Amino acid sequence: MRYNRPGLDIASHALLIVGCALFFLPVWIAFSASTHEMGDLYSNVAPVWIGEAGLDNYRQLLADPVSSLGADVMTLLFNSMLMALGIAIGKIIISVLAAYAIVFFEFRFRKLCFWLIFITLMLPVEVRILPTFKVVADLNMLDSYAGLILPLIASATATFLLRQFYLTIPAELVEAARIDGAGPWRFLKDILLPLSKTNIAALFVIMFIYGWNQYLWPLLITTDADYLTIVVSLKRMLTTGDGLVPWQDVTATTLLAMGPPVLVILFMQRYFIKGLVDSEK
Amino acid sequence: MATLALKQLKKQYPNGYKALHGIDLAFGEGELIVIVGPSGCGKSTLLRTLAGLEDISEGDLEINGKRVNELEPAERDIAMVFQNYALYPHMSVFDNMAYGLKNRRTPKDEIQQRVSEAAELLGLTELLDRRPKQLSGGQRQRVAMGRAIVRKPQVFLFDEPLSNLDAKLRVQMRLEIRRLQKRLKVTSVYVTHDQTEAMTLADRLVVMNGGHVEQFGTPMALYDQPASQFVAGFIGSPAMNFLSATQAQTGLALPCGATIALQGEGLATGAELTLGIRPEHLQVLGAADALPAGAAELEARIELVEPLGADTLAYCRLQGQSEPLVVRLDGEHAVAEEQTLRLAILPARAHLFGADGKRLATREQATAAIE
Ligand SMILES: Nc1ncnc2c1ncn2[C@@H]1O[C@H](COP(=O)(O)OP(=O)(O)O)[C@@H](O)[C@H]1O
Ligand SMILES: [Mg+2]
Repeated sequence: MRYNRPGLDIASHALLIVGCALFFLPVWIAFSASTHEMGDLYSNVAPVWIGEAGLDNYRQLLADPVSSLGADVMTLLFNSMLMALGIAIGKIIISVLAAYAIVFFEFRFRKLCFWLIFITLMLPVEVRILPTFKVVADLNMLDSYAGLILPLIASATATFLLRQFYLTIPAELVEAARIDGAGPWRFLKDILLPLSKTNIAALFVIMFIYGWNQYLWPLLITTDADYLTIVVSLKRMLTTGDGLVPWQDVTATTLLAMGPPVLVILFMQRYFIKGLVDSEK
Repeated sequence: MATLALKQLKKQYPNGYKALHGIDLAFGEGELIVIVGPSGCGKSTLLRTLAGLEDISEGDLEINGKRVNELEPAERDIAMVFQNYALYPHMSVFDNMAYGLKNRRTPKDEIQQRVSEAAELLGLTELLDRRPKQLSGGQRQRVAMGRAIVRKPQVFLFDEPLSNLDAKLRVQMRLEIRRLQKRLKVTSVYVTHDQTEAMTLADRLVVMNGGHVEQFGTPMALYDQPASQFVAGFIGSPAMNFLSATQAQTGLALPCGATIALQGEGLATGAELTLGIRPEHLQVLGAADALPAGAAELEARIELVEPLGADTLAYCRLQGQSEPLVVRLDGEHAVAEEQTLRLAILPARAHLFGADGKRLATREQATAAIE
């Protein structure tokens, strides 16, 4: 909707700018803090402008193990990336197949299957964390990428969203494909996946960020610094015992932790928005 | 080209609804068969069992004399055009037509050649790169036909392919389908609920009602000799008029008091039956004209006039009859509402139907016997 009133335009822009500034301020403070030496941060009031130590800080963080963690930030980023990608891609593969089965195939207990998947929406990791931990421990998957990824990989949300989309596909399209000699796999590959491209892109963004931001689960099952993720490590960097908190490292790591989700959103934005508002059909 | 045979074909849906009650039909090579009937009579069900999209509950389906009940749609060598076209939205026109061939591992250059041939035939050459979204209704319809043609199947199946088009385009596409079918000579089964479409397209026509075949024959055979009151009322536009009649000694007595020199064969005197007469077969008599021999004379008051240009339809009220009597007059006939028409029903033009709706054999009463 557009109203043709210049006053409204100016007012709403002013409001938006103030809002943006408010949200950006903490990021800016974190950034400027990350470019100072530790001494500066403790001897002065919070710095407002960029300091001189920026490059050194970042280079050191990425290359050398951080003393409080036992791993360098590059490793943390790699671990987080692997976990987030694993969770996002795994969730998408599983929910595409689950929704495909539920919508397009006739089998006994189809409804029951759907509802079983659906009620797991009410059981996030945090609720089932002890049994899940036990299972993962019994499977010897503590301190492994599989242990980080697999328990989080099933997604009722994504299954449900894809199911809703698949239900809108006209039955004649399926029948036309059958007559054209497309078996179930071909139909999935040639017709269903291309049609749900934008939906999948949107799901990918959401699921990637969900995976990236996991805190409790990785905290619980990884003790080895080789498997530490960046979100977990942020908290750990703050607990330095008696020493001073290295704020320049914490803020730099925070900014680095924000990077990949922001990049994913920027990169997928086009599909993402399209996936939320319309589809190929 | 193929022959198609349906033997005692029955269909019961999983929810228990019986949609087809034993269909027996045989179609010849290259015939264009139209299945027509009111909505819900099982036309689509029949077509979909032919396609293999629905299982056959009982009976056999044979293509070229070979039983195909258990074959998948793709293995039956048929192609189908759907009412809503069912084009793949994300594929170009070319890919839409080529998809079935690709799945059959047709060589690339042959695909290219067949698609461009079909595109040429249908006037789609300019549109091959477009997406279905960028096409008009008529163009989408053509693409759907193209998708069927490129496969060079044994049988074409059409399920109300024109009902989403506007009236003018419908007539145009109807002609085109007919021309295309005659040219390709592929056995075709075409479903419609529109009797005009059915009459104009069909080599032979199947009229269905409530999951049964009412009659199977050429359009003119169905028009001239409808096997039941249902077919008589369904084929022909405007529909046949029906008058209740009673068998009497002297012929058939009509409620308005007239008598026609006809008898339903094998009926006792006093039996109730229905007489059918088409609007175009009612003869208008001038005041001085003599009544043709054996004909019934009707006095009908015109209630409504519908001038169609070439013809004029007059809706008349007849004594003892609740339904209006429709008379088709040629366009020059000057008639006005409230005017009274003197009409004759000739025995040769009348159709008789028994209480069960089946056609009765008629016997013309010797005129001499009346006197
Ligand atoms: N999948 C189905 N399950 C149960 N009944 C059905 C199904 N499809 C169609 N029918 C019923 O079968 C009858 C014939 O349907 P259809 O063949 O579609 O009629 P039409 O002649 O209009 O094409 C209808 O009464 C319809 O309600
Ligand atoms: Mg139908």
